Amino acid sequence: MNTAPAYSERVRALFARPAHAGDAAGPRVDLARGDSRIVLSAELADGRLARLAFRAFGCPHLIAAAEAACAACEGRGTDALAAWEARAAIAELAVPLEKTGRILSLEDAIRALHEKLTASVPGRN
Amino acid sequence: MSADAVYLDYAATTPPAPEVVAAMNAVLRDPLAFANPASIHAAGRAAAAVEARARASLARLLGADPARLVWTSGATEADNQAIIGGARFRAHRGRHLVTLRTEHKAVVDAFGALEREGFEVSWLTPRGDGRLAAAELEAALRPDTQLVSVMHVNNETGVVQDIAALGALCRERDILFHCDAAQSAGKLPLDLASLPVDLLSVSAHKLYGPAGIGALYLAARDGCGVEPLLHGGGQQRRLRPGTLPVALIAGFGAAAELAAGRVEADLAHVHALRRRFVDGIAALPGLRINESREAQYPGILNVSAAGVEGESLLLALEPLCVASGSACNSLSGEPSYVLRALGLDDALAQASIRLSFGRGTRAADIDFALATYISAVRQLRRIAPEAAA
Repeated sequence: MNTAPAYSERVRALFARPAHAGDAAGPRVDLARGDSRIVLSAELADGRLARLAFRAFGCPHLIAAAEAACAACEGRGTDALAAWEARAAIAELAVPLEKTGRILSLEDAIRALHEKLTASVPGRN
Repeated sequence: MSADAVYLDYAATTPPAPEVVAAMNAVLRDPLAFANPASIHAAGRAAAAVEARARASLARLLGADPARLVWTSGATEADNQAIIGGARFRAHRGRHLVTLRTEHKAVVDAFGALEREGFEVSWLTPRGDGRLAAAELEAALRPDTQLVSVMHVNNETGVVQDIAALGALCRERDILFHCDAAQSAGKLPLDLASLPVDLLSVSAHKLYGPAGIGALYLAARDGCGVEPLLHGGGQQRRLRPGTLPVALIAGFGAAAELAAGRVEADLAHVHALRRRFVDGIAALPGLRINESREAQYPGILNVSAAGVEGESLLLALEPLCVASGSACNSLSGEPSYVLRALGLDDALAQASIRLSFGRGTRAADIDFALATYISAVRQLRRIAPEAAA
């Protein structure tokens, strides 16, 4: 009865230690789709993503992808958000086909956060 | 299973008891008992003696006449045989059947197959605690009703149905009453000599016997019968042809004999384990225990946690071996239809787990499960957006 889906070691590690779970003191995006919800928030300092955080209600792959995205983008410029691609995360985490929509939703949330951040910084687009 | 895994899925299957393994080994190693019990030579007679002993042991456990038992491959086959075979046997009298929405898939799908054959099925919804009120069943019975199926102990929640009262309603009206007792045989006292049950399904691997063997009980009364589903040799009065698997039957017999001597002790053991877990989670908010306060088998504990996602909960609970809220549907990922029928929404049904305890479960296993469960729920709620948590 307990036929849990297979998870890669990478997914298990990200899921078990989501260092970026929480909230950052800055712009926030809240995206709910289907049975999942993702909240992203960011704190900028000197044009860089000083702190990037997430909250998620969803499957282990979504939580792992959110953690991986935050870890990859934190400390970099906001353009890192625009460059983040669901396709790469789906491949890296071996996300099953039926769950790829959740990772695409995460990409949408990241894009929306990027837009918010660039709109809030004068002279940037 | 890794060495640190804690097995709390006894409702799914149980490990074969040492006495069962010994009984099966004895048959497999015996120079004669491997034979076909239907054969009249010496080897056949040796196998038949083994089969007869096992039959007597199972009959004693159930309070049944040994002659009224038919070996099957398990409870799924027994359910199909009882429901499909029973409905066809009585089809000349009427084509209306009654069952519960919360039955095991083996029952639900058998009724679905009969609907496709043109039978009419009334699907009853139990009360919020999972129990079916006798008045509810009585209201569904019609002059053309021929068969009713209600399980004894629900495999997902452990809720116990009052099969004495429900069966009596059917017996008064000469309606076949089938009961899936896969989760109760050997775990709760059963006495078919006094219960108004016409057809009863059991399985060996739920009571520390081997997988692959079960039995169907047929009451000795006029109008109680089933059409065979399989055709072939004349074994088992043509009801279920095929060469009998003597080693599996010997294992079932040993399991039944063992269970008969320790039903009360096993019950007390799982009751204490359940109490320990329930007390341990009492301080955690947002939990719902899916049970009946009126009649509950303590070896099955189904608990839902608001604000956590089911699949993530299951992964966070590793290395606990438990069943998810999509129990029996875990491959589809669909929420449990049993919990949905009890009024849980999809999210809460998916955030439900079933722990089931057995002879091998120790208090230390429960303490480990408690710590793991509390930590997992807290962690997932900490990660979740506020409104969801």
